[in-house]
Amino acid sequence: MATSIASLPPSFSHVSQEEQDALKAAVFQRLHPRVYLERFLAENIRPDGRSPDGFRDVSVNVGSISTADGSALVRMGNTTVVCGVKAEIAEPELDRDNEGFMVPNLDLPAMCSPKFKPGPPSEEAQALSDRLNQVLIASNVVPLTSLCIHPGKAVWVLYVDATCINYDGNAFDATLISMIAALKNTRLPQAAYDPETNRTICSRNAPLVPLQLTPNTTPISISFGVFDSCVYRS
Amino acid sequence: MNQAVFDRRRVNGPEESFPPVFDEITNDLTSWSIGMPRKARSPSDIRPIFLQPGLINQASGSAYVETDRTKIACAIYGPRQSKGAAFHEKGRLNVEVKFTPYSCQNRRAPMRDAEDRSIAMAVHQAIISSVRLETFPKSTIDIFITIIETDGIEGCVAAGSVAASTALADAGVEIIGLVTSCSAGIVQSEVWLDPSHKEARSSTGTLVFSCMPALTTVTNVWQTGRMSSAEVLACLDACQSRCNDIHGVVAQSMLAKEI
Repeated sequence: MATSIASLPPSFSHVSQEEQDALKAAVFQRLHPRVYLERFLAENIRPDGRSPDGFRDVSVNVGSISTADGSALVRMGNTTVVCGVKAEIAEPELDRDNEGFMVPNLDLPAMCSPKFKPGPPSEEAQALSDRLNQVLIASNVVPLTSLCIHPGKAVWVLYVDATCINYDGNAFDATLISMIAALKNTRLPQAAYDPETNRTICSRNAPLVPLQLTPNTTPISISFGVFDSCVYRS
Repeated sequence: MNQAVFDRRRVNGPEESFPPVFDEITNDLTSWSIGMPRKARSPSDIRPIFLQPGLINQASGSAYVETDRTKIACAIYGPRQSKGAAFHEKGRLNVEVKFTPYSCQNRRAPMRDAEDRSIAMAVHQAIISSVRLETFPKSTIDIFITIIETDGIEGCVAAGSVAASTALADAGVEIIGLVTSCSAGIVQSEVWLDPSHKEARSSTGTLVFSCMPALTTVTNVWQTGRMSSAEVLACLDACQSRCNDIHGVVAQSMLAKEI
């Protein structure tokens, strides 16, 4: 299929040749996104210069949010996810009285991409939250018995909330990295349950205790897509 | 207390959970309490502001503001088509504020509540006068502010207004001036600028002041608490001079941004 872009109008004559080419490429991408991608893939390269199995650089920054018990900021290319862990205290379930809770959630707010509208979590956010929950449970990265303060009376609840700030694809991988990094960064106060007053009091002076994570367990996810029967990693 | 209404759209925890309660004994003598002089800075100093425009490439314009313990990200989408068929010859500005659950000392539920809306209203008031609405009829500009970490509501409103104004400039929306904002509190009859959460709670009244320094016009003043008129005027003067300094910081960051 032969496609061509008409030359730019005369009002652009003061723009340099490189900028004119960049503008034409951007217009072409808007008008024919599939052909734009195919032209790159025919040369076995992707529009941002990566090889088909190339990853974007990942940068992780932990512990920057002082109000959270643990936090991490992950940037994977332009995709940016912030994750914070807040710990609260609750009564355990009756049939699992020495297990705590871990509640992971991913929020894809309207600010991260024009395709999300403000309001309740979109389908994509719900699906990703559910999948993340399954990964964290199945990998047992935080054994729930380690969150027990007093069997049958008090356990820790870890709310692991991730917020996407900038959505440029592959939120799942970035979110999983951020949740694991935040959990590794989490430190909880020392809590003691008092059977006489039926209350759990945390010590302000005692040093904070890091979470007891299962050793040598760091779930990592790698996403890939299939385009016209070729495989490309996100 | 986290009384989770069972939200079928999210992963849910236990029905009820409580933030940790700490014992009263503390040997942390360095933490500030009422009656002590201000820690680490003078009453008329504001905390240094780090401002980064253009962080969110998906949005038309964006800005990230960080001052000590307040971290706010702002993204602008638009002008885009207004929902609803009614014709309006001036553009609309829609501000939405969202707190992340881990932004406050006690976990916030992900639901939006009245505090989000009141901050959104204050930011809207602060920046609406600076935007040339007549340049985009029938359209809306959506401003989304996400508060990642907060140190008091006054700091949020002030930093949110600065972030929104910088993001508008980053998006190329036509504005008549940059809006900058500063907060102040009356602590022991003294004017303390940029109060932290603890300081604001101990104060008798707080004030958030937004203006356009380039045009020396005030866009929004939000005062809460009990202050005498003289104290209010003193706060206004102190905030105004600080806003000029903040304007310099914003202009500098816009110039430094890669085009």
